Amino acid sequence: MAVETPIATSGSPPGRPRRRGRPSRFGSETFAAWLFLTPSFVGFLIFTAGPVVAAGVISLLHWNLFSPPTFAGLSNYTRLGPDPTFWSALGNTAYFTLVSVPLTMVVSLALALLLNHGLRRMAIFRSLLLLPYATITVAVAFVWIWLYIPHDGLMNSVLGLVGIDGPAWLISDTWAMPSLILMSVWKSFGFGMVIFLAGLQAIPQQLYEAAKVDGTSAWGSFRNVTLPLLSPSMFFVIVTSVIGSFQVFDQALVMTNGGPGSSTTTLVMYIYQSGFQNYEQGYAAAQSLVLFAFIALITGIQFLFQRRLVHYDI
Amino acid sequence: MSAATNTFKGSQGISRRSLLRGAAAFGSLTAAGSLAGCSSGPPDGTATWSMWSSSPEEGQVWADFGAHVEERLGIRSASQLTPSDGYVTKLDLQLVSGTASLVTALNGWLIPTYAARGAHRELDDLIAADPEFDPEDFYPDIRSISSFDDRTFAIGFDVAPTVLYYNRTLLAENGVEPPHPTEPMDWDTFRELTIQLSGPDNQYGFTCAPSIDDLVSWIYSAGGNVMNEREDASALDAPEAMEALHYVIDLFVRDRVTPPISNLVTENSLANFLEGNVAFMQNGPWQVVNVRGASFDWDIVPFPAGPAGSKPRVSGSSFAIPAAVRGDDLELAWELLKVLTSTDALNIYARAGRNNPARLSAGTAFAPPPDNLSVVQRILAGEVAGGHPFDVTTNWNQVRQLLGQDLPRAFLGQRGVTETIDGLTPRLNVLMRQHQDHIRAGAAH
Repeated sequence: MAVETPIATSGSPPGRPRRRGRPSRFGSETFAAWLFLTPSFVGFLIFTAGPVVAAGVISLLHWNLFSPPTFAGLSNYTRLGPDPTFWSALGNTAYFTLVSVPLTMVVSLALALLLNHGLRRMAIFRSLLLLPYATITVAVAFVWIWLYIPHDGLMNSVLGLVGIDGPAWLISDTWAMPSLILMSVWKSFGFGMVIFLAGLQAIPQQLYEAAKVDGTSAWGSFRNVTLPLLSPSMFFVIVTSVIGSFQVFDQALVMTNGGPGSSTTTLVMYIYQSGFQNYEQGYAAAQSLVLFAFIALITGIQFLFQRRLVHYDI
Repeated sequence: MSAATNTFKGSQGISRRSLLRGAAAFGSLTAAGSLAGCSSGPPDGTATWSMWSSSPEEGQVWADFGAHVEERLGIRSASQLTPSDGYVTKLDLQLVSGTASLVTALNGWLIPTYAARGAHRELDDLIAADPEFDPEDFYPDIRSISSFDDRTFAIGFDVAPTVLYYNRTLLAENGVEPPHPTEPMDWDTFRELTIQLSGPDNQYGFTCAPSIDDLVSWIYSAGGNVMNEREDASALDAPEAMEALHYVIDLFVRDRVTPPISNLVTENSLANFLEGNVAFMQNGPWQVVNVRGASFDWDIVPFPAGPAGSKPRVSGSSFAIPAAVRGDDLELAWELLKVLTSTDALNIYARAGRNNPARLSAGTAFAPPPDNLSVVQRILAGEVAGGHPFDVTTNWNQVRQLLGQDLPRAFLGQRGVTETIDGLTPRLNVLMRQHQDHIRAGAAH
């Protein structure tokens, strides 16, 4: 038979700290936490959750911004299927992501490794390398337009020194997207580099020393110690970079305006055109939610792989 | 509680509770301040108007306009000036949120877009009820540009045809006589001149942007248009338009008389012309104020005459009243709009050299240099050459976007003109059908 527990006891359950009476919700640290979280939470509701819900509602409407909206059912979604520009924009965005994210990772990691190996005046280099990331994309884009000028731009002048006749970077079907990718990698490697550098500096030196004692080569040490222990940082950089790449907009708008043809029209640029140039808010909202679903799906898949590939324990 | 916290409490005299209370009070104050900021704006009865402005010189003109409004209406003027790149997006958001000014400036090509969507109100009732207002004092072209579906939606403040700028110094150095000031050159003569004036050492005969806005003057001069007469299908594949497209694109690709295109976004004919190594530039008189700083002697002449004569596009800008403005505000908006488009205000505008004013009575205020500036008014009056109001659709943004992405391939020689237009025509036809839907919807407003 179970022994009845008295409602009021003079003692506390074993293993828990003693408390004087019932904890007051408003006097506790929970209250303080909520108080400090509230501005962020309210901001999240107003500026993130609210717009997502609003986009969901707007995606079911025909709305040109100025006239009263009319109910559209799912027509804004069914219109996406036969719209070649949408699929072309999605393809361009995927191309951008598939090339730019691995490239950014490689450059970031290489620079982080370089900085981690006792480079003198590391703080200066770290700051300099982080500068592109801290600079406004539109300003960077204008500089790169100048670098990419076909005839006497810096890029082709340098290539000319080694006997290469450089392409018409931003006005060529073939080279416009690689040009955007190259600029984006330069712009964003600093973020990954800082994260990787922090991850590298958290790896205990003893592990490298142990590997050395075991006769492991530098490559073996990198493969068996650095990479596994850096995997949480890599996972973070990959997830954020993929999300950021799917939202690429400003550099394409400023450098190519989506052209030539639609070769650099990205999905977010098409959403902007639909909503604010073509005045089709419902269609733009439907595209936004489909983009949201794509990003959520890809991020979900990344988290599935994380279980097998990311090592949080030493 | 830790000793450290006790020390903090004791020495500073601030408890955690009072700290939290202070934070809450600060948060409340901030929120209240933000809300007050949201609701703040010019008090009722202020003459609010919005305009694009991208330079200190433009800002000065609008400041002078503001002073004129205050003097004439005896109330405070509050202008919202926005750089031209972001003006339309900001205006859209203000219109939809009900925070737009009483009067808003619109580029003429946007008027059908807004009118068909019910963003601005029709003005014919206000014009009819106001004996003081004389629509006949405005050039017919700006009245046409400011109308949609035979209804007036805006009142113009500037209007001008595209003209041909020429570098008189460069022509003289090459032993070429200046073109006739009022008789337009024919296309063959123009082409020969551009070839003659092009040469090594980065000297070019002609510059224009590889965009539809610059192409339309050639298309009109060939007797064509972007859309057919019913405005329900593309007409770029018609023989007249194709002749114009071939002519201009050949100047780029075959004759190579133009500066090379370096990118698709910032290509700028004015910058090319101001380099001093380009003989001719097509552009509007709104660039006169910028070209006045050139380091060489220059002037303007009428646009070259094609098979249909010299028919450059005539563009203009206007002031309109948002559809949401009603009651007393509407009365004030109409008074404000009249002041902003009055002869006195347009004299300020024209004297500053911004552009040719929309009113006949203010025309003389747009004064030389250049020497031949009066040709602008003579073209508008139909005395010299001719002009063609800029025909646009209710979705011109989309037409422009589509052509802006695909036409440069032809200008760059990456694709033939016929192939480019064949690829564009079905997509343009879709946009023209959409334009018809907008017209029907606009008629219902």
